[in-house]
This record gives sequence, C-alpha cells and structure tokens, in this order.
Amino acid sequence: MKTSSNTKEVAAMSDHVKIKIADLIGSELCISAEDGQKVFGKLEPLVRAGKQVVISFENVTLLISLFLNVAIGQLYGSFSEDAIRGQLRVEGLSSDDMELLKRVVDNAKRYYANKESYDEAWLEEDGNEE
Amino acid sequence: MKVVSVNTVKNNASGFDAVAGIAAATRDLRLDSIELDFSSCSFFEANMAAPLYTVIARLRNDLNDVSIVNMSSEIRKVLRKNKFLKMFNQPDLTDIDQMTWPFKVFKLSAGDQFGDYLDAHMKGRGIPVVSEALSKRFRQSLFEIFLNATLHSQSESGIFVCGQLYPQKQRMDFTISDAGVGIRENVRRYTGKKKISSCNAILWAMAEGNTTKTGNQPGGLGLKLIKDFIKINLGKMHVVSRFGYYEFSANGESLHKINNDFPGTCIHVEINTKDTNRYCLRSELKSEDIF
Repeated sequence: MKTSSNTKEVAAMSDHVKIKIADLIGSELCISAEDGQKVFGKLEPLVRAGKQVVISFENVTLLISLFLNVAIGQLYGSFSEDAIRGQLRVEGLSSDDMELLKRVVDNAKRYYANKESYDEAWLEEDGNEE
Repeated sequence: MKVVSVNTVKNNASGFDAVAGIAAATRDLRLDSIELDFSSCSFFEANMAAPLYTVIARLRNDLNDVSIVNMSSEIRKVLRKNKFLKMFNQPDLTDIDQMTWPFKVFKLSAGDQFGDYLDAHMKGRGIPVVSEALSKRFRQSLFEIFLNATLHSQSESGIFVCGQLYPQKQRMDFTISDAGVGIRENVRRYTGKKKISSCNAILWAMAEGNTTKTGNQPGGLGLKLIKDFIKINLGKMHVVSRFGYYEFSANGESLHKINNDFPGTCIHVEINTKDTNRYCLRSELKSEDIF
C-alpha cells in the first residue's frame, strides 16, 4: 500500500521543476553563504533524482560569487559536468550576471578536478614570521 | 592613563602604518584610559575612520576607556560629517552636500542591513551621474568584500565601513575594515604552514580560486572579480592586513611590509565615477553555455 502510494506520488511529480530563488530565500539579494546553502539543499536532491531543473533568478537584484559558489558551484563536488549540463537551466539573469555564473562554474570545475593541488596552490612557506 | 600621539593619516601605506602604530603603542593595555592626541595630526582622510576604529574597537573590547583630544576643527568637521565622532558621543554635523557614506558598525550577521545602508546612501548623492552598470558592479564589489569579512574575519567587534565622494576628482572611495584575525592567520591555519608572512598571505588570497573557506566548497573569486573591475574602471584598491600592504590599479600591483601590526583587515576601493563601461565582456551567454 505504502509503495503504491509513493509510486503514485513520484509519478504525479513533474520531471521539470522550477526553483524561484528570490522566493526560496525570501530576499532579492543573493549574497550570503547561508542562503546559498539553502538553495544547494533544494537543488542537490532534485539533480540526484534526475529532474530537469530551471533555476529562476527573476526578481533578484544582486548576486555575488560567494552565494553562487555555495548554491551552484558546490554541485560539481557531487555530480558530473554532463549530469549538471543535462539537467540544469538558468533564467532571469542579466548578461553580466550570466558571465559571473560562468566564472563561478569554471572555477568550481577546476576546484573539484584537482582539489588538493588547488588548495596548496603555489604557496610555499617563506620562513618569514614577519 | 596612556597618551598616544596620532600623526597625519592619509589613505596610503604610511597612513595605515600610523594607525597600526596606535595599536602597537597600546598593545597590552587592559582596563586603562587611553587618550588619542591629534595635536600632531594636520590631515586625516575621512575613509581612514574605518581602520582607525578597528584599532579602537579592540581597545574598547579590552575595556579600555578611549578618548580623542586636541583634534583640529577641520578634522573634527570631517569626522562629525561622516558620523565617526558619534562613537565618542560628539554630535553629527549635517552632510548638506551628501558627500559621505556615514561611518557605521555592522555585526557579522548583518548582510541585509549592509544592503539597506548602501541603498540609502547610493541614491541621490551629489555626485556625477554614475552609469547603472558601474553602480551595480560597485555594489557587487562592496558586498563581496563585506560578506568575505563576515565569513573569514571572526571579528568580535563587527565590521566598520565608511565612504567618501569626491565629485571634483570624479572619485568614490569606500572602506571596509574588521578587527579580526587577519588574512595571514587564516592562510596559516588553512595551509598548516606556520611561517607565511602577511604579504605572501595577501598575495595568495588575491589569486583566483584560493580561499581559506573550509567545507569542500569552491571559492576565492570575490577579490579577483574586484581586481578585474578596478582594472577596467581605472580605479584603485588597497588590502591591508597585519603587516601587509597591497595596492592594485590598472598600472599594476605592489606589495610591501608596514612597520606596525594592523590588528585586522581593511579593504579600500576607489572608483572612477566617469567610467561608462558596460561590464559585459563576452557576447551574450546562453544558459546552455554556462554548465
């Protein structure tokens, strides 16, 4: 009975989901890591479930890389580029914000592709306490 | 009672060194009285109120009673206009020309209030008309700096901001300062390398993709984005943290050690207001180009 109910519920759900960011975080400012984590928390299970997700930035007046790193960049730590490319779409972003998102996505791909050396970067101990 | 002399403070390396010198002269004081004596100070650049308060906040956090004495009427006028002297119970002076973003202290959780502050003070300024693209990019940059400070500084006293407009020079200055652990400490903790200098730590933090954020999340774009913006805008930025002083402009970057330990991190951006760039570098990106 329970299995049947669950199946029915999943079947009733559309394979296409739209997330309205401004509604979800309750703000037109996409700035904080906390709000980014909230968005990631909604996106991650949807991508995992194979849904087609539209991320709508309608009514967002300002967004910064810090938010996007957590909300979207973090997805590259859990899913392949192909999966993300095939399942995610964004709308409602101005052309300069699209550039910002592209920058965040490229940075995230590099980060997860080579995390350890990325963290180490070129920083060598300079033996100089000051 | 300790009397500390404050010399002329401009928005440059010696100005920051002078401010850090106050911290050095008062380092071990607790439950004491400290007079900041401005009799040797012939000029105090309004924006430097934020880093100065970084030092004062630490002193007040150690329950010291801090007062200001012998300040010239000119400097007093500037610092009453930007409401800095309110922190010393001195009345504000109405900023008739609207040339200042008032000095304000924000808690680390106050991202939205910072947004309200920018909204309230970015509109209707007595400055030349700034393009919408410039205004947006400037605002984004200030949020990147502010949110970085909330995330990384661990400042117990909050974050100190102020700004100043210079219509004749077609310049807007904004400064965000915190009394936190500094970039050096964060980089040392993150990398486990205990002997990284302040200057090298700043350079590391300025490089794209480098971040001390933990939790398996990418980051390290904010400061690089601001540098890109400053380069196109022909503006300038300074990052001062502990002994490190970094300056960036379209002409290049420079880094040097200051003599005194500035007890936190301060980022100052100077924007060229006559800039009409669109800030959209690539041809229109589509959603399918992003991922």
